This record gives sequence, structure tokens and C-alpha cells, in this order.
Amino acid sequence: MNHPRIRYLLLHAYGRGGTIRTVFNQANSLAAAGWDVEIVSAVRRRDDVQFPLDDRVPVTTVVDLREGVAAPRERGLAGRWRARRRDRLSEAPAREVPRGEFGHRYFDRRLELALGAYLRSLTDGVLVTTRPALNFLAAAHATHGVVRVAQEHMNHGTHRPDVQRRIVETYPRFDAVAVLTERDRVEYARLLPGTRVVRIPNAVHSLDQVPAHHDAKIVVAAGRLFPQKGFDLLIPAWAKLVEAYPDWQLRIYGSGEKKAQLRALIEEHHLYNHVLLMGHTDRLDDELAKSSVYVLSSRFEGLPMVMIEAMSHALPVVSFDCPTGPADVLTHGVDGLLVPEQDPDALADALGRLMGDRDLRAQMGTAALLTAAAYGPDAVHPRWEALFSDLTTPDGTRRGTGAPEGLHV
Amino acid sequence: MKPQAEVEQVWPRDGRIRVVGRLHGVPPDAGSRWRLQLTRRSRTDHVLRYDADLDGARFACGWDVGGLAAYDGFGAADQWDLHLTDGARTLRVGRKLDDIRGKKAVMVYPEQRVPGADFGVRPYFTVEDNLSLECRS
Repeated sequence: MNHPRIRYLLLHAYGRGGTIRTVFNQANSLAAAGWDVEIVSAVRRRDDVQFPLDDRVPVTTVVDLREGVAAPRERGLAGRWRARRRDRLSEAPAREVPRGEFGHRYFDRRLELALGAYLRSLTDGVLVTTRPALNFLAAAHATHGVVRVAQEHMNHGTHRPDVQRRIVETYPRFDAVAVLTERDRVEYARLLPGTRVVRIPNAVHSLDQVPAHHDAKIVVAAGRLFPQKGFDLLIPAWAKLVEAYPDWQLRIYGSGEKKAQLRALIEEHHLYNHVLLMGHTDRLDDELAKSSVYVLSSRFEGLPMVMIEAMSHALPVVSFDCPTGPADVLTHGVDGLLVPEQDPDALADALGRLMGDRDLRAQMGTAALLTAAAYGPDAVHPRWEALFSDLTTPDGTRRGTGAPEGLHV
Repeated sequence: MKPQAEVEQVWPRDGRIRVVGRLHGVPPDAGSRWRLQLTRRSRTDHVLRYDADLDGARFACGWDVGGLAAYDGFGAADQWDLHLTDGARTLRVGRKLDDIRGKKAVMVYPEQRVPGADFGVRPYFTVEDNLSLECRS
């Protein structure tokens, strides 16, 4: 094994978000291919990781926030001073992470300083950082020899202005910036001239899924109950469908802080028999296999992985054409229907088209299955290996020469 | 199959509650008259009865929540269990034949205020997926 170590820095490797799941998938397949992989968690709030992870992949933590394991009891005058300083810094706001970073509230000055020290200690291998805040810290502090790759999961325009500016300032320091969609690749390449911008989509965890049979009168949506997911647009859309399709159910999987508001919206439209807030499930695969259509009502996305998972179950998709992702994956009229973003009437019309036509569901579902194949682990992971191999080739001669190997004339 | 009064829809609206569903495992009998029965869980001698409409296996029954106004004076909450009966058979009303587990948290209905009383009533599914009413002040 001559591969250098690949380190993935996550905000919270013990959480259950989509980024964490896809990073674990990447780590697992790299480990299986013989790479030396480590997951680094900026903070730790739980005892156990929430997704399957190869035994060969260690998880290390920068700041442990679990109760009772906080910090060893400090002794002596200097120890007490250190403990006091730590407490003070935990209450001090972050200075380096811009306020507009959607995860800003998870950072404080103590975490920034701890991450800075950790990043300065890295002298070899590859560091992959997975969100803007971590990318900015790596740009500033991981300067002692480690090869740096920034993962950017969102469209530039979706970020707040302060984050947009910092991206343009700091991302050129990375050896590569990895984005999820072609639209993002073009845009970041334009914003970051001279920086290597590569498109590597996230992979679904498996393509070996039970296909839906398209008979069930069930439409599925999934995601955190949060404004970004647009369930507040989906519920009024369903109100337009309920008279024509009274025996269909909309099942929304996920939990989150907007549950009470969504419940109130369901009651306002008298949809309590038709729109169900299902809560979190550990078996979304089974639920997808039982349904007939997947609907995506988001205001914005990076690359909607649950949508692609739904497609791997041969489900046709109805989606807003929001930035970015749906249009990158879907071909309108082939494997799903794309409608103008944030337009509930158009969403209802497109859903009605599929709900009223089983043959169309089956036909688009089959096409969706073919589309999803491009996001299988076997299609995606070789791209990461190729990128890491290329970035760590000592003399860099393979980079940009344009000459195919073995063609020395 | 075991006789079952399977709920399909519950409509709490404008001071009324309407339950629509289907009888399973009950031979059709044009002569029998079905009624919906609300039984107070804490005092089973308190029973309210309403006529139910049968159309083949389909049943429907709606009633004003005002009938509960006389039963105040409970503590934090009071429950009533729903049955359908034709005199010969008494079936607990519930929803057992679909694939959704944990209906108590998933199928949630709006509260109706009881006129002339200081409490509201809300239909809900029990942990056994049976349909009951909960009164709360």
C-alpha cells in the first residue's frame, strides 16, 4: 500500500446528514480499494456513528462535546487557568467562519482554535474538507504540506454574500475543488480561474434495490422539515389534487423544526386524511419500494441524493427546477417531470399527470432506474481514486500533459 | 377474516366528526341496523350512540361534538372509545389493514371545540391503531 492517507474532515461525523452518509460511502470504498482513510470529526456529540463504516477507517475527534467526557479535570494553577480560558472561548463567537455560513451557529472560538491547531499539524497526505466553514479554515491553516481538496455541495448563488466572497478569495488555494453538478462546475470554474474544479457527484449507497411496481396510490417526499425542502409549497399543491385523486396519499418522511407549522398547513387545507408527516425512518428503502412517485419540492439543493435513491427504485420524479441538481439529473419527460421552481400549481399539474397514468409511471420509472446507474458506487468512486492518485503523483508529470500513457513516439 | 371496522377517513370539521370506512369479514345483511357507539373509558356506563349509514360494506357516521358537553369535570384528559355495533356484534373501530405503523404520531387530526363546554375533542389512534376521542380542556 503506497497510497498516502486520505483524511475527511466533517463537522459532525456522528450525525445523520446526507453529507456524512456520502463521505462514509466514499471512505468505505476507498478502504476496500486499499487506501488509508481516516474520518476526522470537528466535534463529537454522540457515542456512535450513525451509518455503516469500514473497520479499517478510524474516526478521530477534534473537540469532544459529549457530556461527562468534556475535558479531563485540570489540576493546579495553570490547569485551572487553562480550564477557565477554554470555557471563556466556548462562549466567544466564531471569528473566522462568516456569519452567513448556514452552519455558523455550530462554531465558536474554541472550536476554531482547536481546528486551526489540528490543521496546522497536517504535513502529508490529502485533506478533504466538506463544507464552506471547514474549507475556509483549511485554506487558512492547513498550510504545512497536506494536499487540499474542498468539497462544495451548494450552488454559489445559494450561499449568502459573505460566504460567496470568501469562496472566491480562498478556494483558489486548494489543489482541487470538487462540486456535485455540471452547472456548478461551470460556474465555480468561471469564478475561480486557474483553480482545478472537478465534478464528482455523490454516489447512492447501492443500486441493488427493490423496484416499485407503480400500483400503490402513494407519493413520497423526504427531507428535513425545514424551509429549504419546500414542503410548505407541496402541501398546497396536494390540496389541488385531492378532489381528483381522493384515494392517493402523500407521505413526507423526515423530522425537523417546522413540523408544527406543516401540521397547521395540513389542517388549514383539510388534508389530514391525505398528507401524512411520517417522521424519521431507518428504512426509507422499503418505503420507496412501496410507493409510485417521488416528489421534490425544494427551494434549493446541492445534489438531491434521496431523489436519486428513489430513482434507483424505478420511481419517476416530479421536481421543481431549483438550483441545483434536479435538472442535472433529470431529463424532463423521460425519467420525470421538471416544473418551474416554487410554483405549486405546476407541481400539482405534473403530479396529476403521473398519478392519472400508470403506464407513464412505469415507463418513466424504468428510465429513472437507468439514470440512477450513473450515480452508483461503481460509477462514482473511481473518479475519487483518479483525483487522489493524480494529486499525489510526486512529480506531477501526469497533470495536464495531454499525452495518453504508453504513447511515446 | 376476523370482523373488522376499518377506518378510511376521519373528518373533524365545523364542530362535527365524521368517520368513513369499510366493514371487513362481516357478511352483508340488508336488515341489520348499525350504530356507532362512544364509550367513556373512565365510566363505561357513559355511552353515546349515533346511527351509522351502511352501503354494502362501506360505513359512514357523523355526529356533533356538542353531545359531549355534559361530560366535563374530568382531570387533564378524558378518552372515549369507538365501536360499531348491530346489536349482535360489536366491533372496535380502528385502522389495522394498511402498512403504516405508529399511527398515533402519523395520522393526527384537528381538535374541535365543544360548544357550551370549556374543552375540545380530538380523534386519535391508540397505540393499537384503534380510533378513540380525547377531550382536553
